[in-house]
Order: sequence, then C-alpha cells, then structure tokens
Amino acid sequence: MDFERGLQECLPRLRRFAHGLSQNAADADDLTQATIERALRARDQWTPGTRLVSWLYRIMRNLWVDTARSRGCKAQFEAPPEAGESVGFDPRPGMEAAIDLGTAMAAMDRLPEEQREVVVLILIEGLGYRETAELLDLPIGTVSSRLVRGRTALLEMLGE
Amino acid sequence: MMMNDETFFAWLDGELDPAAAAKVAAQVAADPDLQQKAAAHRALSGRLREAFAAVASAPIPDAILEPIRRGAVVDLAAVRERKASRFQLPAMAQWAAMAATLVLGLVTGSVLDGGSTTPVRSESGYLVASAELGNALDVRLASVSTATGPRVGLTFRDQAGSICRSFNDGSAQGLACRAGRDWRIRGLFQGANSQTGEYRMAAGADPALAALIDSTISGEPFDAPAERRAQAQGWR
Repeated sequence: MDFERGLQECLPRLRRFAHGLSQNAADADDLTQATIERALRARDQWTPGTRLVSWLYRIMRNLWVDTARSRGCKAQFEAPPEAGESVGFDPRPGMEAAIDLGTAMAAMDRLPEEQREVVVLILIEGLGYRETAELLDLPIGTVSSRLVRGRTALLEMLGE
Repeated sequence: MMMNDETFFAWLDGELDPAAAAKVAAQVAADPDLQQKAAAHRALSGRLREAFAAVASAPIPDAILEPIRRGAVVDLAAVRERKASRFQLPAMAQWAAMAATLVLGLVTGSVLDGGSTTPVRSESGYLVASAELGNALDVRLASVSTATGPRVGLTFRDQAGSICRSFNDGSAQGLACRAGRDWRIRGLFQGANSQTGEYRMAAGADPALAALIDSTISGEPFDAPAERRAQAQGWR
C-alpha cells in the first residue's frame, strides 16, 4: 500500500482520536500534525501488512502522553468535581439531547488521562478491548476497569 | 447474584462470548435497574460517537495535509539519494561508458580511417589498441617517463583478473585491458590536447576515466616493482 495514501485515509479517524484526547480543537490539530510528521519520519518502522491506523493511534497516544506530561498535571485538577453536572446536560426528561463537539470534548477533558484514552479508543474509535490493551500496553482487566470508571463519570456529566 | 460492572459493560460492548453474553442478557432482562443502566449507557455512547463524527467527516485542514504532500516529495528525493549512493560506482561507470561511447563515435568516425597515429583499431568487433599504442602499453612503464608518444598511467588488475593500463597519448586518453595478445579498449576519452575552453583539464585524468578506473579496478594499482614483474610475465 502506498504509505502517503494510507496516511490520508487514516486522517479522519486520527483527527477524531486527537479531538477525544485534547482540550480544544487547536490542540487536537497540532497533535494530528505532529503525529503525521513523526509517522513520516518513522515510516520504516511500520510493518506493511499490519494495520496502519493502529500504528498511528499509538504514535499519537505517545505524543499526547508526552505533551500532557510536559504541561504538568494541573489540568487534571482544574475542574471542580461538580462542574460536570451542568455541562451539556439537557434537563428535559426523556430527551436524548444531542451533544455538540465542544461539550463532548469538555467532558472528556475532565476525565483522568488514563481513563480518557481508554474511553476514546473504545467508545469513540470503536476498538475492541483486546486491541486497546495491546495499543496501550496494558492488561485487558485494567482497560476494562478504567473504561467502567470513565464512562460512569461521563454519564454523570453528560446526561440521564 | 450481583453482577460486577466489568462484566456488565463487556456484555454491553459485545466483548463476551455467546454463552456468557446469554447469561448476562437474561439477568438484565430480569432487572429493571440494569435495563435502565444499559439504555443510559447505550445512549451515552451513541451521543458521544455522534458528537465526534463531526470531526471525522469535516474537511482535513491544509496544515495537516501539507506534511504528507511534502513528505511524499522529500521521500522521493531520499529514495533517489539512497539509490544514487548504493549504486554509485555502477552509475558512474555507466556514465563513463556512455561518455566513452560518444568519444569512440568521434574517434571511429574521424581517426580510424587511417594514419599511423590512430590509437585504436577494430579487431573482431572489439576496439583494441593500435600498433603504436599497443606497443607503448606492452613496453612502457609508468615509472619511466617518456618524452613523446603515449604515456602509461596506472596498471592494475580488473575484477576478472586481467591486467588493465590507463594511457594518454595527448589526443586521447583511456583504459585498455589485456585480452590475449591485444589490449582491448575499455574506454576512450578526449585527451588533454584536444580539450578546449572550459572543458580543458588543467591537469590529470579526465574524471570520466577516473570513474571508469574506479569501477574496473580490483585491489590496489601496481607499484613500480609489480608493474615490472607484470611486464616480464607478458601482462598476464
């Protein structure tokens, strides 16, 4: 497969993953760009025949972890615990209100990083538990328990 | 029996094998709280996916596409560079051979038709050193300078083990390798005398000849004693 074309085909998913991880759209596109640049430089390390998107997810995730670390962990403690209740919550009973992207990102951003990456990969990117565990180098049980905590917190923030 | 959350969500996400999934499904069906929890989480997942779907279907900003386009160009250049360095010698030899062909065309067209100073002649389809050049290659040593006639430069063995000698007779310079009793011409280039203007070499061999030697030589060029020994053995 042509590497550049493969990259282009993965871009919509990569951008979505980046938006799931990042605080805002600008950061998400910076992350996507950095991922593409690193992938282009490291292209010899990709094994043809393996899933390109998984390799790219991993590059992006590692870049994101590095950036998050360099920013420090202040973001994690910025939001007061109760703030989630008003974010994107539609008070009308029985309505499944659509969530706009900004609201969804703000809610994601409130999750601890180790829960956020699991939630994004499984609930938004649609990866399986095993694939996620391999991508993050985690035991599948850890993935599973982080997912429980992450989605439970999101439900409290976003509705019902 | 109380079901743990991990199992419940694994079921919801379709991660359980059919037997385990059937068991959980039965429990959920019998429990309104679990039913409500399942519905709430299905709705949450659906709404999240919808929210982020906007990103996946949006046009990709140029700033992100640009490195890919640029990467393709850079990569092409890198591939060419890698190829060039990997095949440097053969590529140079090819170029030298091409240059030799051009010069041979001139030589065969204008010089071969006569004259005792012609450095090459045709022999069974090969260009070989003519009498004067052949004689010089036979008897002259690079270590002994001569006033007139062809001068011999380097003597060495090629990869097939034949002895090759470079020469320069003023009008032409080239490389000839021993084939039987002949000196077969491997390359022939314009000599210093016929080079004019900016193409004139200030000193030394034509770079094309140097490249041809580089691609032909096996080991080191002969020193003076080795050259004499080779001469004594008839350049075999």
